[in-house]
Amino acid sequence: MGKLAELTFWTATISGGLRLATPLIFASLGETIAQRAGVLNIGLEGYMIIGALTSLYVTVESGIAVGLLAGALSGAVLALLMVWLCVRLNANQVVVGFGLTILGVGLTGYIFRLTTPLGAERRQVNILGEIHIPGLSDIPFLGEAFLSNSWMTWLAFGLVPIVWWVAQRTVFGLEVRAVGEDPDAAFARGVDVIRVRSLATLLSGLLGGLGGAAITTALVGVFEPAITAGRGFIALIVIIMVRWSAWGVAVGSFAFGLADALGANLRNIVSDSVPTEALQMIPFFVALVILIIGARRARMPKSLGFNYVPDR
Amino acid sequence: MNGDTSPDIAFEAHGVSRSFGATRALDTVDFDLRSGEIHALVGENGAGKTTLAKIVAGALRPDSGTLRLFGETYTPRRRSDGSAAGVAHVRQQLSLVRGLTVAQNIELGRPRALGDSGWRPWPRPFNARAARAEVERLAAELDLAVPADELVDGLPLAVRQQAEILISLAWGARLLILDEPSSALGPLETDALISLCLRLRDEGTPIIYISHRLPELARLADRLTVLRQGHVVTAGRDVHDADLRRIAELMIGDISLLDVERPALEPGEVRLDADGLHLAAEHGPGLRDVSLRVRAGEIVGVVGVAGNGQDELAGVLTGQMRPDAGTVCVDDIDVTGSPAAAIGAGVALLPEDRTAGLAADFSLAENLIARRVADSEFARLGVRLRKAVQRHARALAGRFDVRPPEPALRAGSLSGGNQQKLMAAREMERNPAVLVAAGPTKGLDPHAGRAIRDRCFEAAGRGGAVVIISADLDEVAELAQRVVVLSGGRVTDRFGVEEMTSARLGAVMAGLAWDPAGETGHPETGSGVPE
Repeated sequence: MGKLAELTFWTATISGGLRLATPLIFASLGETIAQRAGVLNIGLEGYMIIGALTSLYVTVESGIAVGLLAGALSGAVLALLMVWLCVRLNANQVVVGFGLTILGVGLTGYIFRLTTPLGAERRQVNILGEIHIPGLSDIPFLGEAFLSNSWMTWLAFGLVPIVWWVAQRTVFGLEVRAVGEDPDAAFARGVDVIRVRSLATLLSGLLGGLGGAAITTALVGVFEPAITAGRGFIALIVIIMVRWSAWGVAVGSFAFGLADALGANLRNIVSDSVPTEALQMIPFFVALVILIIGARRARMPKSLGFNYVPDR
Repeated sequence: MNGDTSPDIAFEAHGVSRSFGATRALDTVDFDLRSGEIHALVGENGAGKTTLAKIVAGALRPDSGTLRLFGETYTPRRRSDGSAAGVAHVRQQLSLVRGLTVAQNIELGRPRALGDSGWRPWPRPFNARAARAEVERLAAELDLAVPADELVDGLPLAVRQQAEILISLAWGARLLILDEPSSALGPLETDALISLCLRLRDEGTPIIYISHRLPELARLADRLTVLRQGHVVTAGRDVHDADLRRIAELMIGDISLLDVERPALEPGEVRLDADGLHLAAEHGPGLRDVSLRVRAGEIVGVVGVAGNGQDELAGVLTGQMRPDAGTVCVDDIDVTGSPAAAIGAGVALLPEDRTAGLAADFSLAENLIARRVADSEFARLGVRLRKAVQRHARALAGRFDVRPPEPALRAGSLSGGNQQKLMAAREMERNPAVLVAAGPTKGLDPHAGRAIRDRCFEAAGRGGAVVIISADLDEVAELAQRVVVLSGGRVTDRFGVEEMTSARLGAVMAGLAWDPAGETGHPETGSGVPE
């Protein structure tokens, strides 16, 4: 237990938390936009895992930049199904969402088996290294814990203010909020509800796919079946916890990432008397309490989960 | 510009027809709007007023016929084309988006320049400060108290309506269509609306004003066109020369609207006795020491500007809200704060919001047995007797003239008037001891309104105590024998309906003391009609 007092433990945990938060941030940012527009993508897990597989396979062939792009686009392709079935044909969002999750997990597992020699369990690429920022990354503790990240993590956190700006300070953001709150009135105002919802859903697919790509290509360097391990659902929880706020997504994702990292690192040092699951739970509770108390102002989009049917 | 159109015609429709399936909503209709006039469009529900309005706004395309706007051929393909051409359509169902402020709503869906598809590679920033300044500038110009930065959710209906008109003007409206704008407003709010319309007209914005409240049109409109079943019955008649009774006859064809025959009703013993009701409400004034006693065969009208305790009174009288103090007794049975006891004692409610009184996705038949699902008449061993339910529905729908009387039909698919009749059928199937009806004929065409009015008379005629809660003075004047004025949650005046004058009502509803100078009337205490 003495290791808990050591600075290196916390440095490793925090930088690990940031790393593990990265895919969550991408996925939740996209999903925040979609949910603000009233579309609930329960299939986020599906977008992520298809992005995870595609990006790794493409990276092997064409390098990481193309690989990440392909991962994002593959998520958007799955989201296109969501757009077609739910936004256009008014199918039930929850049913289709679970269908897309099952489809994504099943399809990627199948492709993986088809393309992997018998006996092999995983596909590998080299993961991204940390960027060393001269001066800053060398600051004791702070620099090592917070400022030594791969550029994928920097990109994720960099997207946060951009998404916030789009949602709060642009006309598209107004339209997104309007169609998520009151699609009938928005339509009457002259907003193309179907178009805005379609775009928002596709954004969720793009960023969900990128989130999946972040896992395989940037963080782990490996694909194996079910690698996303429910992170799509965690992202959905993050969004609800932080109440559809882009800044909240950063905080909430970091809290979950930290919990993940803490659980993993604690496992190595505590005696067997404490069940590791119990240790993993503590930070979750802390994160929950802080966030529930912290972000009260925003409210749930009124039409979240309800399809828009013009002129009933 | 085209030479054969006189320049002072703002809008012109020629030979316009439009069908929905087999229904011909408009049949070769001619209509013209002069610049600088308010042109009233009147007619029953389903006469084609809203269809015509939608065509002018660009939301519907006519099957045939031609349109001209400000002298030029006008062929809008969608609503946004209409807005871009300067036509604003303010509907009954206001279209401000909840969850956003007025200033944000001004930017949402703002018409683009012609030929601009709206596509941008990057999101366009929303300039909150400019939007706020625009709202404030226009509000000052029009002398309206429209707050720029408040969420529209919390604004009163009248203010939301003003905000919508304001936004239309900000969007460059040169022609306004107001569809039933006064149907949910109190008298003072209606006055404000009328003066706003007159001001806009005088500043050069012509208005198409849709309503079936003739007295109001007489105060406001220059000309008037009557539609009946998709045809123009009277085109562009000068309002000041027109005989309103004659117009009313033209509107509905056969029955007379303005002279209601009031059946002779003899009040019997007290059936509803509400005493000393107090209720603190989250919004609005709640109830403050309200007492109301209604006898068998008596119809009492509760008037007042919306939001002065009406909803609370309806809630408390039907047991759905528990007052902080006071009691509600029906036939000497205490039903205070208990919906079950109230229903058991025979209290029926026609809520103002029809969606609250009907299950829209259930069938007519299911709605009609909603109070009696477990009756042995309709269910055996928990299994519904479909035939009996259908028979019951058909009989009841026939008796209350619900059209079409088709038991399997979705209740939500009925027109507003027929929904109201359906609700009345369920509530009044068995003679209610007490009937609380909130705005029972609101938004109905004269035909349906008359049917509902007759049901209220019938309920009283069979010994029920009837309470009409309404902001519509005409409705109350037609139905009630006694009038109670609710203002700021208090009863501020009581009198017999024959003493109801607009001066007296205007004063007391605004919360002022009634000074009967020069008028016959009873100051302060009302007319001495017992509670």
